Amino acid sequence: MANSTAKTQPRITDLLDPGFMARLDALDLLSRKILQGKLQGQRRSKRRGQSVEFADHRPYVVGDDLRFVDWNIYGRLEQLFLKLFLEEQDLTVHIVMDVSASMDPPASPSSPLFSGKTKDQPADKISSNSKAVFVKKLTAALGYVSLVNNNRVTISSFSSGVQRQLPNMRGRNYLAQMAEFLVTEKFERPTNFDQTCRQLAAGRIGSGIIIILSDFFFKEGYDSGLRRMISPKYDIYAIQILSPDELNPKLTGDLQLLDVEDDDTAEITASSALLKYYQKNLAAYCNELKDFCTRRGATYVLANSAEPVETLVLNYLRLIRLIH
Amino acid sequence: MQWLTPTIALYAASVAIPLLLLMYFLKLKRQQHFVSSTLLWKRAVQDLQVNAPFQKIRRNILLLLQMLAILAVLLALAGPLLSLNTTTADRHVLLIDRSASMKTIENQTTRLELAKKQARNYIESLRSRDVFTFQDTSDQAMIITFDNQAKVMCNFTSDKRQLLAAIDSITPTDAGSSIAQAVTVARAFAQSPGEDNVNLSVSNPAQLVLFSDGQISDAEKITIGPDEMIFNCLGTSADNFALTAMQARRSYENPDELNIFATVANFSDSARTIDIQLALNDQVRAVKSVTVDPLRQDPAIGSDLPGKVSVSFTLNGVESGLLEVRQLKKDSLSADDAAWAVVSPPKRITALLVTKGNPPLETALSSCPLAALDTCLPGEFNAKFNLNSNSGTNDNSNDDSNTDSDDNTYTNSNLNQTDSLPKNYDIIILDKYVPENLPRARYLVFGRPPSDLGVTADELIKNQFIADWRPQHPVLKYVNLNNVFATDSLKYTLPRDAEILAEFNEAPAIVLLRRHGSVFLLVGFDVMESNWPFEPSFVLFCYNAVNFLALEYNQDQQYNLPVSKPVTIENLPPETIARISVPNLPEQEIIIGDSGVLRYSATERAGIYVVEIPDQPPRYFAVNLLNENESNINPQKELTFTGLTLQARDESLSLANLPLWPYLVAFALFIAVLEWLVYIKKVRL
Repeated sequence: MANSTAKTQPRITDLLDPGFMARLDALDLLSRKILQGKLQGQRRSKRRGQSVEFADHRPYVVGDDLRFVDWNIYGRLEQLFLKLFLEEQDLTVHIVMDVSASMDPPASPSSPLFSGKTKDQPADKISSNSKAVFVKKLTAALGYVSLVNNNRVTISSFSSGVQRQLPNMRGRNYLAQMAEFLVTEKFERPTNFDQTCRQLAAGRIGSGIIIILSDFFFKEGYDSGLRRMISPKYDIYAIQILSPDELNPKLTGDLQLLDVEDDDTAEITASSALLKYYQKNLAAYCNELKDFCTRRGATYVLANSAEPVETLVLNYLRLIRLIH
Repeated sequence: MQWLTPTIALYAASVAIPLLLLMYFLKLKRQQHFVSSTLLWKRAVQDLQVNAPFQKIRRNILLLLQMLAILAVLLALAGPLLSLNTTTADRHVLLIDRSASMKTIENQTTRLELAKKQARNYIESLRSRDVFTFQDTSDQAMIITFDNQAKVMCNFTSDKRQLLAAIDSITPTDAGSSIAQAVTVARAFAQSPGEDNVNLSVSNPAQLVLFSDGQISDAEKITIGPDEMIFNCLGTSADNFALTAMQARRSYENPDELNIFATVANFSDSARTIDIQLALNDQVRAVKSVTVDPLRQDPAIGSDLPGKVSVSFTLNGVESGLLEVRQLKKDSLSADDAAWAVVSPPKRITALLVTKGNPPLETALSSCPLAALDTCLPGEFNAKFNLNSNSGTNDNSNDDSNTDSDDNTYTNSNLNQTDSLPKNYDIIILDKYVPENLPRARYLVFGRPPSDLGVTADELIKNQFIADWRPQHPVLKYVNLNNVFATDSLKYTLPRDAEILAEFNEAPAIVLLRRHGSVFLLVGFDVMESNWPFEPSFVLFCYNAVNFLALEYNQDQQYNLPVSKPVTIENLPPETIARISVPNLPEQEIIIGDSGVLRYSATERAGIYVVEIPDQPPRYFAVNLLNENESNINPQKELTFTGLTLQARDESLSLANLPLWPYLVAFALFIAVLEWLVYIKKVRL
């Protein structure tokens, strides 16, 4: 009975390769800002407090804790100075993952993956190139790194609003819970990024890192939503995940394109000229997003869901010093 | 531009074009494809539409290409022809002149070859059967070639290969040109529908197309409708030096002296000095240089007259041989540069008179230029020719045979004797005597005719006057039979081939008949029973008859022929093979029939014809052009028919009536390929 339960229980290894996890163990998330956490953690905080790392001296005033008086200076100068230490605090990491239907479009009737199911009945098989798989794996990897480094991790999934949330996880003990959360996540609803950001901003406390994982294909725009998220207390990482079908579409003939979220249609004749214009528009869209982020101190990363998550995490995210 | 099957194309268009438009504008059933977001795709489509030049056309470029391809196919279905011919006739008769003047060299080819080339162009320009319809819309043509005679090379047909083969098989001749017969034949054939015609009505007028240099002798004698004939004039050369006359005669006083007369004509614009060469048996005997005046306009007749010079040569001691007179100046037409004559040995006529006694006849004959006149009694005739031994046999055979047929009386039993007979007597005169067996010879018969000629003369008629005669015939030349009266005459019943020279009121009086290689001049009454001996015409008749029978049939005239006149040799052993050498052609063999007459009519080329018969010396025939009209090679751009002057076409014929449907189909295919490429470019990833 226990065995069967263990088999059905989602595990972090369902999402992450043990070898990959071993390499992640040596890593930690890095915030460019010295941020104040809630609990005493393993990183420096601006806040001076109880720690081993000396920060400064100040004259003693009545009421100060006598334990922090620097008796060596008193011996030399006969004046009371208090030792100030940088307090090591934990890092709040908020991973916001897009679980809207656009992250997992069903296979088209012409696709070999098509199983006869419609948009409302997602296909059983999920392509390994799928953004859904990629976003789950990436969330798992980032969450894993954060948890093993005793950071405070919150994972939120959003579509038309915040759907589910795993708040304030800390330590390895939460790995199983995170795995279950991720594995059971469904990609079904339409997106409302602005509404999501409004909810997240309202519930935000303190400071930390916010990593937004999405394809950022929001018809109403990402501007207002991201503006809400931008805050001096938070390091914002916008990771745009696109599938190969979006980066280099291989379409032929006369097609009716169906938007998986709002049933919008676009009739096209797939020509080389049209595809050129599509790619030109995609590049412009991505550049706009990148500029938007850069101008506001956020970091933009474009990820191809066909590439291994390991490559992204171990190489690219280290390069931009999200992970060190 | 003409259309062979426009209605089919219209029907097809009425179906195909709306169908294409319908299919094109029907909403395309597009394949559904799920995407994360249509956001960027819509922008791309907008950008594409905004930035594409000629957006409307670009959107419908495939439709345009398809319309073009369908249009090309529909046009091909309509059967278009690139028509350069002004004629709309569907039946054509090509008249191709092959006379001597068409042998004129023009730019290293002959006029006839030019004519054949243009005729080929004409034939290839005829409308062929349209491939898209069951209805026969093809043109038909007929090929007639003519010199002084017309020859149908190909009857009306639409089979171009047959017509082209007929054109290719036309060979030039050295004869004159006479178009009347050709036009008559063409009209006669044009009345019939033709061999493979099923649709064309005979009322459709046939278009006559003449290919000639315009040197046609009898154009003025025929009538041509205003649009009945198209004249294509060939050639540009005009310079020609020709022999237009030539004759060789023995001197009357001295038969060993041979006088040769020739006329040289200059058809060029300037006076020329021309060398005239005389050769006997291929050995040059004399050369004379003469200066001939240029072509001049004759105001009296309104046409050009060539400059002419007569040349004469005299040869002595010529027994026999072949004479050739040749002008040595190089010119465009070689057929008229030489003339030939066969010189026979001086002829001396010997005659045999078989009679019981006829003083007027003997007197008349003695006045004729005979080398010898023998007289014998009827009883001596058989003995003279040693016919007694065969007579019994021949009598028996005669009893059983039909006298009107070509029996063997003269052919087998008397064959050996006939060979020797003409050598002895050129003519035998039978006066009221009918021998049982007649050797092959030439006979002048007074009274009852020989029994097996097919002439019956059982009835006597009394008191007959000569009612009519043929004064143009050589036998009756200068003979006035007006007052000739016979008390008793035989009423001849003649076979169909008998030639009546004079007639009584009720029956023929003088008849010419050829039988079994012999010639019989029959006089149906006894001269002693008439007043004829007292008439001057009797002596003239005898003179003419002797000369006609002995000379006309035997002398040089029959060896010197104009072009196209048949070679005729009589008194030949039947069933033998004669070999004829023809100028510039391989030797031919002819089997002599039962009649013992060899007749060879294909004397279309000037030159020496040699007839070789086994066991006999070869016979030579000189066939000459000697036609001033043909030697005048200046092309006539204007032909004058009766009441109509026909101008030649300005330009030579080129290919016309080119069917355009293969090009249209090729264009349609090209458009289809282009459309495919456009489509592939449009949808290619």
